[in-house]
Amino acid sequence: MLEIKNLKARIGDTEILTGLTLTVNPGEVHAIMGPNGSGKSTLALVIAGHEDYVVTGGSVQYMGRNLLEMDPEERARIGVFLGFQYPVEIAGVNNAYLLKAALNAKRRTHGEPEVDAFEFLKLAREKMALLEMDQALLNRGVNEGFSGGEKKRNEILQMAVLEPRLAILDETDSGLDIDALKAVAKGVNSLRDPGRAIVLVTHYQRLLDYVEPDFVHVLSGGRIIRSGDKSLAIQLEEKGYDWVREVANA
Amino acid sequence: MSASSINTELLERAVGKLPSDLLMPQRMRALTRFAESGFPTTRHEDWRYTNLAPAIDLSNLWLLEAADGAADEPRSDASRHYAAELASTVDAHWIVIANGVVQKDLLTRLTAQQLPGLEAVSVAAGNVVQPVFSILAEEPMTRFNTALLRDALHISIGAGHEPDKPLGLLVIDDASSGSAVSQTRIILDVATNARAEVIEYHASIGSHGHFANVVTELKLAQDAAVDYVRIQNRDRAHFQVGKLITRLGRNASMRHAAFDLGGALVRNDVAVDIAEPRASIELHGLYLADGKQHIDNHTRVDHRVGPAKSREEYRGILSDRARCVWNGKAIVHAGADGTDAHQANYNLLLSDKAEIDTKPELEIYADDVKCSHGATVGQLDKAALFYLRSRGLERDEAAQVLTRAFAAAIVAKSTVDNVRGHVETLIDRRLQDLVGGASR
Repeated sequence: MLEIKNLKARIGDTEILTGLTLTVNPGEVHAIMGPNGSGKSTLALVIAGHEDYVVTGGSVQYMGRNLLEMDPEERARIGVFLGFQYPVEIAGVNNAYLLKAALNAKRRTHGEPEVDAFEFLKLAREKMALLEMDQALLNRGVNEGFSGGEKKRNEILQMAVLEPRLAILDETDSGLDIDALKAVAKGVNSLRDPGRAIVLVTHYQRLLDYVEPDFVHVLSGGRIIRSGDKSLAIQLEEKGYDWVREVANA
Repeated sequence: MSASSINTELLERAVGKLPSDLLMPQRMRALTRFAESGFPTTRHEDWRYTNLAPAIDLSNLWLLEAADGAADEPRSDASRHYAAELASTVDAHWIVIANGVVQKDLLTRLTAQQLPGLEAVSVAAGNVVQPVFSILAEEPMTRFNTALLRDALHISIGAGHEPDKPLGLLVIDDASSGSAVSQTRIILDVATNARAEVIEYHASIGSHGHFANVVTELKLAQDAAVDYVRIQNRDRAHFQVGKLITRLGRNASMRHAAFDLGGALVRNDVAVDIAEPRASIELHGLYLADGKQHIDNHTRVDHRVGPAKSREEYRGILSDRARCVWNGKAIVHAGADGTDAHQANYNLLLSDKAEIDTKPELEIYADDVKCSHGATVGQLDKAALFYLRSRGLERDEAAQVLTRAFAAAIVAKSTVDNVRGHVETLIDRRLQDLVGGASR
């Protein structure tokens, strides 16, 4: 589904991704771990199409198409979803409005009829209940005045409503208390599906206790230096990132 | 005669061609004074950024005909059509002033309804009170207005009364049969404890040049409350200078929201005089400009006594090579203790060729006051734009969503419900132009 080959990207004059290769198949859950500054968020933002990052080499294929040629909105409509590490607050833009506009943009792309207000509300409420979200958040400005946990749940709500094929969740676990973490994990697990791939970008192993990955990759210096199954995450937690670097350099 | 000054000789002759009615002595006085001052120029501090030269040139052209008495008597078929359309969209008691002349049929119809406490008359029809023009006499643009005035609309709302619907004042100018200059004058007296919603709507049509000079005078007596919405939706090739002067009585309150959407060269002055305690004024405004539009908003609040409160927030969205000016002045005079004044101006520039000159000004001569001001100029939030696009919204759609949200803060302050939907539609339409222009 996602095939990244030797990807190189920079922001300004700083090279951040230095030759990253990764293959993700439908139905798989991948965890990408790594120390701060290793390029985890950059990878997520490059896949989503952030214009500040310049791709200087390599390729990203999604469902056989060149993702790097597409605008961010086009990527979103064909099923790529990024759960932001820092979801922006957009005062004055209604949360429900955005959710509905996003859903209908995707449906139009797929030649499906737009959902009406009634169907939409039913769907949104159902997903919010699953995430144990306060329904009042639907009628607030997008992330406006939301707590850290509410913002992350809101990202998962968008994912649950949009049902992407490829979901990249950037540090979705950071700043969550244990109840919020469990609710978010429940939301993610509910979307596990043989046709869908999920990439969890995370600094800590904590989330992986609740969402069990099929593969764990360690990112350092802008590329993947080690891959394994979920036991790699446990080793990392015990021995720290220095251990991986030493092993990789040996 | 230097370039871009008015031809006084033609002006005198044009004034002489107007009917010798009740207004004539006032016209002559204003003419003398205007001849002394002429139009304001960019050498005046208050007019530094706004050059009226195109409007003056147009006036001179028009005066060539007007001096012979040949200037068009307002033709109002198109205006009538516009008025009917607007009336079917916005529910209000509409009065129409077309090319400076109060349309008598609508006035008659309104009068026939015998709304309690409401009286609306045309000054030119002769049945009038002494108009209260004197306090405005020192403004050059007001002198120009008075000197060439064909008519004026005088409305009064009696003590304790409240009309069942908003009063709609459509100021429409038709330049379809030739370039034209028009003077519009509105006087609104709101008596003790009376309330009203007012929609002052400026529009223009026609492919020739037009320059509208509009003066509105508002008096609120003790405990009166007025919600006032001004919509300027002129043809984008036309010029307007508008002045709204408000006097607030004790405990009177006025909420004003202005929407500037059209016009090529637009200057609005809002002056508020707080001469009695416990009055409150809210001034809100939104200006949307693209192409080469020039929109200048000057406001001035004189706090002569306290306690009293003024709140002001203007927002602007500019695209292409638009140029806007905002100057918000609050003067707290000596002894006006207990004054609470706040003013803010926020701007979004969608193009790097657009320009805004913003200047909040506070002059404080009293001791016990609470005053603050601020202004910002920024661009669309890139992070927000990317966030929306990453959810599948197209760039222009995302930009429109963000600009609409920015503008919505002012729409929300507009308190006349009957016109809100219409204002939102107009704003959406303009934002499409602005956003589309910015990404071209």
